[in-house]
Amino acid sequence: MTSTTLTAESVVELAAHEVYRMFGRPESGSWLFGARCESLSVGAAVRLTLPVGPDTQRYEVELLGRLSAVRPDAMVVIEHAQPWRGRLKLTFEKLGRSRTRLRVRADVSNSGLEWLVRHTGGVLSVPPVRPDAVRIGVVTSKSGPAAIYSMATEYLAELAVDEVNRDGGLDGRRLELLVVDDATDPEVAAAEARRLVRAGCRAIFACTTSSSFAAIEDVTRADDVLLVQPVMNERGTHDTASVLRLGEQPSAQIEAVARRLVQSTGGRGWYLVGEGYSWSYGAHEAARSVVPAMRGRVVGETFTPLGTSDFGPVIEKIQRSGAEIVMSSLVGSDEVEFQRQCAAAGLRSSVSRMSLVMDESTCAHIGSAAEGIWTALAYFQDGPATGAGELLTRYQDAYGRWAPPISTLSETVYEAIHQYAQAVRRDPDAGARSQRRALLQHRGGRGGTGVGARDLLVPPLYLAEVRAGALHVFDEAG
Amino acid sequence: MNVLTLIDGCYRGGVTVNENLAFDALSDRVRRRILAALGDGGELTAGQLAERVGVVSRSTVSSHLRILRTSGAVIERREGRHRYYSVDTEGSVRDAFRFLQGLLQDGVRLDSGAAAQADSPDEFHHDTG
Repeated sequence: MTSTTLTAESVVELAAHEVYRMFGRPESGSWLFGARCESLSVGAAVRLTLPVGPDTQRYEVELLGRLSAVRPDAMVVIEHAQPWRGRLKLTFEKLGRSRTRLRVRADVSNSGLEWLVRHTGGVLSVPPVRPDAVRIGVVTSKSGPAAIYSMATEYLAELAVDEVNRDGGLDGRRLELLVVDDATDPEVAAAEARRLVRAGCRAIFACTTSSSFAAIEDVTRADDVLLVQPVMNERGTHDTASVLRLGEQPSAQIEAVARRLVQSTGGRGWYLVGEGYSWSYGAHEAARSVVPAMRGRVVGETFTPLGTSDFGPVIEKIQRSGAEIVMSSLVGSDEVEFQRQCAAAGLRSSVSRMSLVMDESTCAHIGSAAEGIWTALAYFQDGPATGAGELLTRYQDAYGRWAPPISTLSETVYEAIHQYAQAVRRDPDAGARSQRRALLQHRGGRGGTGVGARDLLVPPLYLAEVRAGALHVFDEAG
Repeated sequence: MNVLTLIDGCYRGGVTVNENLAFDALSDRVRRRILAALGDGGELTAGQLAERVGVVSRSTVSSHLRILRTSGAVIERREGRHRYYSVDTEGSVRDAFRFLQGLLQDGVRLDSGAAAQADSPDEFHHDTG
């Protein structure tokens, strides 16, 4: 990794072990980067909240990653993937009994630098596409509420492109990848997608919320660009000619979990919690048709805006409703907050919880409060899909042991890019319509279950439960 | 990437934190559009920019360009009666590193609230178990 290093330091009137112990704890406020983590152990998920901007326009930048090295009372190292890729090393040097030099060293990767430049209002111009290259774009969420579940997206897209190129590219031409951040904001998504079109991308993989996806669809409609949403979504599009939506569908997820959850708990009353946009609307509509078929009934429903952090009122409503099962379609940091607050309110003992977006990263950031949550997803890092172990090895060889976990949300992007490359290999300059046809035909021709050959349009699902802090697959759906 | 070497040389010694200028450049939608257009189009005149950015007049574009030049995001080149604008890559990278340096400095600086907490280490030990 080519990187640049910056450092900062201060001297504090505290003993080194006191400073060390404050790291990751709410008591330290915004000091020590507002870090929050459940334990100071190697591999633990960590979230840093950094307030930025002048006082009148204060906002927060959130760094998400894992602790990659810990030396008690002396050092903490964080490998972070969001919003930029890099490493932070904090050292606590003992100067006296209650005097410590606190030093931070930040290593920023090249792609990290690009994010920082964009974020501070700058632009690094993109060179024109060379004739011996084919350019594709990925829109992902490197900041905002969706950043948590998108942590490995950029890495896996890059891995897929590197592998395609190692295998000879597209008919001898190099596949080239541009990655942009939508900041979990549809307006930014639209602007960044326009940038990808102008940069000559032949296809755009929008690994975003459905709101961002809809905004991208609007601004690329007139362009001859294939638009793929490779992450779980509620489906539906105005443009069936050049748009393709892949990944899990909420109706299939709910059907898979509901039957087993009802059988195992005997619960009948369902409470639905989601966000006020198309993804949750679609998911809850599906629940309303599936739940009665299982002799259950929906006893309550709440929609909160994306980016909500206080779920107190929602939890009160759940408690008053007498629900036995809570289904959440919340995503990213909203889901992290909701599940933590549910556990803190003691809901864990009175209701069964199922979640539609309980991927490895979200689960790790919820921590012990995630215990017992059920989900149904098409891919798990440590799941039974053929080739999952090999993919993890290749991934960690490329990005290190502390790269964010692979999840269904990032693996489907990896696989979609591979399938795209194979489908359009012969004619990468074809129009969006024929690229879409080729991708669909290619998928129809494979129909396998292993990594690289899965049917992403209707992916088979696995049932999983969070046990001892990790997602455990216990059955296949259907 | 040669900009990295440049910045590495400049900033190893640390910088005075001033993220306000960069933040001003970012905070306005029209300015973000101007920067995006310059990022795609290389060198453009104020008239060409007004066309690409849309919705605003040429004089509005000119006043935004002044702000962008002051903050170091954009550079101006004069040729005869024409003025051409382009993205100042070095300036952009410099701003990005200033921004990060500011974040790092804030993260290690002990604020008074945390200091009050840290003054009672016994209680704290108890919490950590």
